Amino acid sequence: MSDDPDKVWPTGLNLKEAEEVHSYLIDGTRVFGGIALLAHILVAFSTPWLG
Amino acid sequence: MSYRTFTLRKIASVAPRYLPFADVATEEVPLSRLLRLSLFQITVGMALVLLVGTLNRVMIVELAVPATLVAGMLAMPLLFAPFRTLIGFRSDNHRSALGWRRVPYIWKGTMYQFGGFAVMPFALLVLSGYGEAVDAPRWVGLGSAALAFLLVGAGLHMVQTVGLALATDLVKPKDHPKVVGLMYVMLLFGMVISALIYGALLTHYTPGRLIQVIQGSAVVTVALNLFAMWKQESRNRDRAQEMASAPQVQFADAWRDLVARPGTMRLLAVIGCGTFGFGMADVLLEPYGGQALGFSVAQTTQLTAIFAGGTLAGFGIASRMLSRGGSAVRLASVGAATGIPGFAAIIMSSVLGGPALFVAGVLATGLGAGLFGHGTLTATIRSAPPDQAGLSIGAWGAVQATCAGIGVALAGITRDILVATPQFSGLPPHAPYNFVFMTEIAFLALAILVAVPLTVRLTRAKAVHPVGTPQTNPVEAP
Repeated sequence: MSDDPDKVWPTGLNLKEAEEVHSYLIDGTRVFGGIALLAHILVAFSTPWLG
Repeated sequence: MSYRTFTLRKIASVAPRYLPFADVATEEVPLSRLLRLSLFQITVGMALVLLVGTLNRVMIVELAVPATLVAGMLAMPLLFAPFRTLIGFRSDNHRSALGWRRVPYIWKGTMYQFGGFAVMPFALLVLSGYGEAVDAPRWVGLGSAALAFLLVGAGLHMVQTVGLALATDLVKPKDHPKVVGLMYVMLLFGMVISALIYGALLTHYTPGRLIQVIQGSAVVTVALNLFAMWKQESRNRDRAQEMASAPQVQFADAWRDLVARPGTMRLLAVIGCGTFGFGMADVLLEPYGGQALGFSVAQTTQLTAIFAGGTLAGFGIASRMLSRGGSAVRLASVGAATGIPGFAAIIMSSVLGGPALFVAGVLATGLGAGLFGHGTLTATIRSAPPDQAGLSIGAWGAVQATCAGIGVALAGITRDILVATPQFSGLPPHAPYNFVFMTEIAFLALAILVAVPLTVRLTRAKAVHPVGTPQTNPVEAP
């Protein structure tokens, strides 16, 4: 696959593969962000830290 | 010194034969890799124990949440169980530029499980009205706790379904029984270990400790699952191109094809009846030992250990029998048939046999549960259409998890109703339990009856293509 024009430097993945790996990263960040937000709201309900 | 090296070499050559399930390793997939993969079952067992055992008690005793609400929350993961079929199907037909089918789903499941655990302690504290949360609207606690339990349930169902499918993909068909045994043993191991650890950590309960324990579980889940799936499924560009050009399959079509295969629905019915029968016992053995036979708390805890020991022996026997080419459905029937005298002995022990008979009954029931669980999962994997292991394992998991969950819930409810109803109050304490145990015997008998045509069909097939049967000549391997 060394002649693949879509190959991305420096990982050796081609464009589609790189995009898929990236999509896992983005999805993971969204889920983590949502979870963290929800957890903070719940903590604020039981022990409010702003007034 | 030569004596010492001789002894060492002798021990080294003997150990793999007697080390349970060490014979799983094949040339392509070494044991270390399979053991590493089976770590996902430990996180599943951990989540199950935390939900059904630990949090059940903590919510009722320490957090003073009403028991009906607790039961409702703990039922949330069950709602997701039927979707295991869909998850398995999706992983079979996944399109990935990397050529992955299973790993993306294990990762997603891990994320959900992590997310649920991360939110859960705060949701429980708000639900129980800890600190300023007394003034919070009711729906905040209810909704967030339900969401947390649903996330954990969805995560563990995804991880288990797709993880088992990956394990099935990795080894050759003749080694499937051994892998199934290994996976079951790791699930049991994870449950036992985590029950001990949770028990020790939560002896002195504080809200801070609850947060630490549950969030610690979240971190352990991600760590173990990452370690388990690392480099298990290879990146494959050829397969990626096949995936991209493969025709789109609809779930309804795939499901219709699976159901149309002879014996599939019958096998699922057997799994449902049998799992329901064995599942009802889990919650009742300990209180039964305490109330009907006057066991102490420590003694009733030993009952669980005896039950688990029987199950472990069942897995071991099933692995040996089935890897020699025995019929998995027949072995499952034998398991259910072992459970019936087991339950009968448990019932009898309250009348005349006493503790010894009871312990024997518990052991037989555990053994039967092990044989039945192993037999049905192996039968499912063996009857799976080629390259569709995920769908079949998903269907198995959906039926198994749903029936086990309903069995546990119904057993508890039946007992509570029978105890609370005044016209029964004149009865001895073992009466309501024995009613439940009778029901279990009935369901196990039903499972065996439903399985009869399957075993008959196998025997007929065997007349044409002989495979050694485990019962008649266990020594002769085909």
